[in-house]
Amino acid sequence: MIPIWRIKYLPKSLDEICGRQEVIKNLKNIIKKRNFPHLLMVGSEGVGKATIASLFSKEFLGRYFTANYKLIYADVPLTEEERNLAKLGSYVSTSKIGSIAGKRITTPAFLKVKVKPFVQLKVLGDVPFKILIVKNFEALGSNQQGFRRLMEIYGTNCRMILITTKISGIIDPIVSRCQIFLISQVDFQSFKELIISISQQESLQIDVPVIEVLYKLSEGKISRAIDLLQLCSVSGNSISLEKLYENAQKFQIDIIRSLLLLTLNGNFPKARELARKIISNYKYNAHELFKLLLEELNKLPLSKYARVKLLNFVADADFRALDGIDNDIQISALLSKLCLFSENL
Amino acid sequence: MGEIAKKPTKVAVEMPWVEKYRPKSMNEMALPSAKVEGHRVDLAEELTNFIRTFFKEIKSINEKNKKIRAYNRTAVEKEQKEEIKLPPEKTAVLLEGPPGIGKTSIVYALAHDLNMDVIETNASDTRTRDTLEKKLKETVKSRGIMDFITESKQKLILIDEVDGIYGTKDRGAVPTIVDLIGSTQFPIIMCSNEYKQSLQNLYKNIRRFEVHPLPDEEVFKIAQNILKREHISSLTPEDLQLIIKKNMGDLRGVINDLQAISQGSVSMDIKELILNLHRDSTEEIFALIRDLFQKVNTLEEARNLTDKSDVDYNFLYKWVNENLPTFLNVNEDLANAYENLSLADEIFGRIRKNQYWALLPYFYDLFAGGVALSRKRSPPTKGFRRVVFPRYITSGSYSLTSAERSMIDKLNAKYEISSIEAVQEFLPFLRILCNSSRKQLKTISDWLELDAKEKKLLK
Repeated sequence: MIPIWRIKYLPKSLDEICGRQEVIKNLKNIIKKRNFPHLLMVGSEGVGKATIASLFSKEFLGRYFTANYKLIYADVPLTEEERNLAKLGSYVSTSKIGSIAGKRITTPAFLKVKVKPFVQLKVLGDVPFKILIVKNFEALGSNQQGFRRLMEIYGTNCRMILITTKISGIIDPIVSRCQIFLISQVDFQSFKELIISISQQESLQIDVPVIEVLYKLSEGKISRAIDLLQLCSVSGNSISLEKLYENAQKFQIDIIRSLLLLTLNGNFPKARELARKIISNYKYNAHELFKLLLEELNKLPLSKYARVKLLNFVADADFRALDGIDNDIQISALLSKLCLFSENL
Repeated sequence: MGEIAKKPTKVAVEMPWVEKYRPKSMNEMALPSAKVEGHRVDLAEELTNFIRTFFKEIKSINEKNKKIRAYNRTAVEKEQKEEIKLPPEKTAVLLEGPPGIGKTSIVYALAHDLNMDVIETNASDTRTRDTLEKKLKETVKSRGIMDFITESKQKLILIDEVDGIYGTKDRGAVPTIVDLIGSTQFPIIMCSNEYKQSLQNLYKNIRRFEVHPLPDEEVFKIAQNILKREHISSLTPEDLQLIIKKNMGDLRGVINDLQAISQGSVSMDIKELILNLHRDSTEEIFALIRDLFQKVNTLEEARNLTDKSDVDYNFLYKWVNENLPTFLNVNEDLANAYENLSLADEIFGRIRKNQYWALLPYFYDLFAGGVALSRKRSPPTKGFRRVVFPRYITSGSYSLTSAERSMIDKLNAKYEISSIEAVQEFLPFLRILCNSSRKQLKTISDWLELDAKEKKLLK
């Protein structure tokens, strides 16, 4: 019995995918043909791109799935260990043929540790090729050039499914090498059917108008909608609009707002303390934190001049963090400026 | 030690006291205590035994090998029967312990007592494969005509400062030493300060003695003895105690300090001298940060302060960042100070990235003077302020705590999700869910089989 609904109601085959019939039909055709080029799946956050891709690979590879399938996340940086590992192998000694220095092989560390070992290995079992899924591919940044070479060299051995939210972040040569799949948001009709079937299994009472609001609140992210539904179900089986709104409030990250309040009260030491806590709890990098802060700042009722001023502060800090070494200094600098700004309001 | 070194010394060049008073034999030295795998052992006895058994066994092995060699006439037969070797635990030992407690001395004293020669190699030699082989293997392996001459005086090989082997300079040294341990004709003693991961191959199979520093009373006795023999009476027992305490068991350090004091100018306050000799690096940083914020009035003064210290500027400006709010508490000053500090950080980043070293002066002036002189409206902080260590060092890379890591691993077995998504999105949801009812917390943690530490993440 799985206690977390979003895991419990995860689709187990392509047939169970909610909506998006066109895409599913195309993918099923591919499975029948036993061949496909590299794929690029584009769609907004949380619509189920990765779920579709992994179910597709599962059905394509059949019982050889585990040996020939890998999912990597381009936005998860290497750990210290992995970086050392990459460094360790990056020297190929040529001292045997007389040079003392040894030659350095420069594969980007990420590709070397995460991608290469998998794509280089031969296919296991009776399938035409392996499948590698790269999630948040645009986060690969400058490593994309290196990845493109790997797509060419190992393409026959391993097909790649690249998943991204913004196609503009991907270099043209890679886009041209892939067949593009647009994954749209789930339509309301299918969404309604899914929610109703879940409610029946969990014996919840929910009306169609409430489902409509749930659809809007979750912005097309099915996992978010199911999370919300589970949260509402904790306090009773009938789900009303009030309850839905109340629980949706909890989802918003109000910790950024409290950080902003501390700076507007001019309390720098406390604000810095909280900023550090946020970073260590949520693992935001400096850029993400600045972005969230700006979003929250824009909600404040301020004059247009003050708004521009604040935008200037955040932009300056973000810009410096790009070149700087210690992000904490840039974050502290922004906080101190906000503290000062609040005094002159 | 800077100030002492600058003074012209009238004293004729004399032997370092450390060499002068190095014990000749085991009987006259204060033996440090030692442990092997947690059990206390008598170092002198163990080492003597080690060397005696080594020679006994190597003799019998050599005789056996001689027979094998005589037997192996043809090349084919040679391959079939290899010569016997002693296991590594009988050919080499390792002495591990902090610097200056007498590891090297004990080896020399041992050699003296057993009437042996010491062949030493230490970190001052470049220990590439070639040089090491030249130095050691010739003496170690060849047992030819010279044997008859050297038979009377056996040899002992001392590889000092093993942990100093690293980098390209000492390329190939570790395999050479490992080979050596396998094929040696003489016992090998290695000394090392700390356990090093990269030397694991070396540590395998050999006996490791943990050598502990001498107790302070013992050091005190030795120091007093030396003072008596050098006819120095200006040092009170309290001062001596202070020196010993500062050195924390490092006997060599104590002796070096005593020599330095005896050569320093007499007019200088001895206590001051001692404090100058040993300024703890963290103490120094604390003082420096305090001076920077509380004493500095001009850019030049700030410059002088940072120039004088030998604290790495890589760290120094992080200390400034950490302690800034303690010393400046008006928001206007803070913002100005941070404007300078953040610019300094940006400049430093560009220097490191693009090698724009010409920008370094700006960095220096901005992070020290630029910050300290931003005080306009903050009242000057007087008296003692607690300076804290930079607790928060962002390297730009993210890292998970061990609890988070193990929890995400457990989660991943059931639900494929990236670690970033998990901490930013999924864990907060679980936290809300678990806070809404205790039953949820229990079922979820049971389902994921969480331990107490991981459970805390859900509260």
